[in-house]
Amino acid sequence: MSLFIERLVNGLADGSIYALLALALVVVFRSTGQLNFAQGEIGTLGAFVVSTLTLSGLPVWLSILLAMFVGFVISAGVERVVVRPIEHRNPGAVIVALIGVFLAVNQLVAMFWGVDARGLPNVFPDQADDFVTILGAPVRIARLGVIGVLIVVLLLLWLMFNKTKIGLAMRAVANNQESSNLVGIRVGTILVVGWGLAGAIGVLAAALLAPSAGLTGTLMLGPFLLASVAAVLGGLDSPVGAVVGGLIIGLTEAFMVGYVDFLGADMLFPVMLVILLVVLLLRPSGLFGSERVERV
Amino acid sequence: MNLPVRVVKGSWQNWLGRVVLFGGVGLFMFRAMNEWSRSGLGLLTDALIIAIAVTGLNLITGYTGQLSLGHAAFFAIGAFTSAMLVTGKVWSPFFTDNIWTPGWTMPVAAVVCFLIGMVVGIPALRLKGIYLALVTLVFTEAVRALFKYGEFEGVTGGATGIKGFGYLPPSWTGLDGRSDLVKWFFWLSLAILVVVSILSAGLLRSRIGRAMVAVRDNETAAAVMGVNLFSIKTLVFGLSGAIAGVAGSLYALKLTLVDADIPIFGLFGSVTLLVALVVGGAAQNWGPFVGAMFYVFVNDFARGVGEAPSDAVILGWFVDSGTKINGLGGVTFGVLLILFARFVPFGAVGTMRMWRSKLVQVVPRVPAVAGVVDSRSSGPLGEEGSGSVDSTPSSIGAVESPGPIDPDRPDSPS
Repeated sequence: MSLFIERLVNGLADGSIYALLALALVVVFRSTGQLNFAQGEIGTLGAFVVSTLTLSGLPVWLSILLAMFVGFVISAGVERVVVRPIEHRNPGAVIVALIGVFLAVNQLVAMFWGVDARGLPNVFPDQADDFVTILGAPVRIARLGVIGVLIVVLLLLWLMFNKTKIGLAMRAVANNQESSNLVGIRVGTILVVGWGLAGAIGVLAAALLAPSAGLTGTLMLGPFLLASVAAVLGGLDSPVGAVVGGLIIGLTEAFMVGYVDFLGADMLFPVMLVILLVVLLLRPSGLFGSERVERV
Repeated sequence: MNLPVRVVKGSWQNWLGRVVLFGGVGLFMFRAMNEWSRSGLGLLTDALIIAIAVTGLNLITGYTGQLSLGHAAFFAIGAFTSAMLVTGKVWSPFFTDNIWTPGWTMPVAAVVCFLIGMVVGIPALRLKGIYLALVTLVFTEAVRALFKYGEFEGVTGGATGIKGFGYLPPSWTGLDGRSDLVKWFFWLSLAILVVVSILSAGLLRSRIGRAMVAVRDNETAAAVMGVNLFSIKTLVFGLSGAIAGVAGSLYALKLTLVDADIPIFGLFGSVTLLVALVVGGAAQNWGPFVGAMFYVFVNDFARGVGEAPSDAVILGWFVDSGTKINGLGGVTFGVLLILFARFVPFGAVGTMRMWRSKLVQVVPRVPAVAGVVDSRSSGPLGEEGSGSVDSTPSSIGAVESPGPIDPDRPDSPS
């Protein structure tokens, strides 16, 4: 039982990271209709910024906030400078451009910070004795903290989307750009803010992952792939779906590695493929995604 | 002389254009073989192999509009099929000691990939756009994981892969076994690329080709007009996978080893093929060739720009030589991709076609009734029998076709 609780919490904590990243992907997809291939790498860059700032003596939480701002600016810049001039001409070319951003950011990180793994201090207490006991199982506070961050981010996003004017404008733009433009919403600004927000969330996810996974240039590669799967599983235009998808993936990973000996971590993707196919063949737009009605 | 000059399809001017184009490329290849260094020729061979795989991808993604990030899986399956047959890892009925002649493993790889591709095509009936792309991407990684899986080690070599095979030139080629190996693979790749391109162009002119384009432009409308979506999607996915499989088989025989960790067998392989397709020009008959050349040679150039700080960085995009592009070189390549997407959005071939159509246009032969050559109609829709499969540079899966309309046949020179 205690092992089960431990795996459950670990699965939920990893799932929360995937969910955060998937949320970022969903925010971008809703505004631009693209999968942001560079999302993970912007997160990695942010995590290295956190590392540099904490080494210069700033407290960890402040470093993360500053790095999130950097992520906001970079991601917003990618929308404005790279994506917007291309997207009306050829959506296929946007994929190539984003792959270019992915590569450039990844290699910039390698240039500036080298390729050796480094540690990143945890924002939550993470000493050997920092755990609480739930139903007889020792659960690390840092793992619970990650889940807590997801809940807080969700709450903030919900408040923003539903209670603020800019959130309303973002929903309008996601729904119909041309009509939003006609009622006086500055679509360009909204797109920039949406991408920026996604960049900031991506940095947060990377900064939470790095202390346990070790900070390297490839930090976000696997999580990005799993987060994309999570976003698709939940429905690319649904924030709720992103969270549910992320938690499903995290739990699947934790229980598969824990309980199914003959599969183990190596067979993660075959299992993901099966889950993805079962869900998508029943619901082609994901669990919570909205179906698009097409007119001929 | 008024621009654009109109050339009647099938006239001697049209044929002259084709001869100049094909002759030019042929001459280039011939000179490359005789004058380039071994490493340069090896790089060119890599580009040709990539071009074969991208030709396959072009069928399903360029012409049928189904975004696939799964073609590295077919590439890997083709490679492993060859490696397993040649080294006698699996039972084979026709050859002594279970050992296949390397050349015969290529058609087997094609058949295997065709069958698997048909199965992969089934989800494409339900899924669109990024959803399909993601499923095929996970398929790529899943296939890679299966090849690496410890339980299958006896057949696939598990984590260490399969080594110790190759393909020496047969005696009828007159090439000397070891010293001419580079030339042998160059000619073999070129020959297969030519055959595959001709087959693909033929397919596009057929009923199936028109159905493919109809599915891309508007799936629902195509279905209403009597196109069987199930057959088209599964068939084209199968064919497309088979071509990528042959490329993979060739790649394995050239590399003389396979290993599930080779980047081109995974996520990055799929991305590489897609980038090469879009950069060259999706739904353009010369697109795969130009895109693959661009990819391999610009990648090589970028690699020269920056020194590799260490090989811990992920992007050993093109792994043949085991080197990786890193640091400044990687940034250069990334920025080049961004600039290319910005300024050449329809790929090199698509953009060249647009420029060329300002100077020369190839128009279909008009029935002798009117007696005028110059009766140019408004566009592909108004043209009887123009059959312009790739008349406008197409974005992947997009319905709209911006840019000037260029009523060319797919086989006209660019």
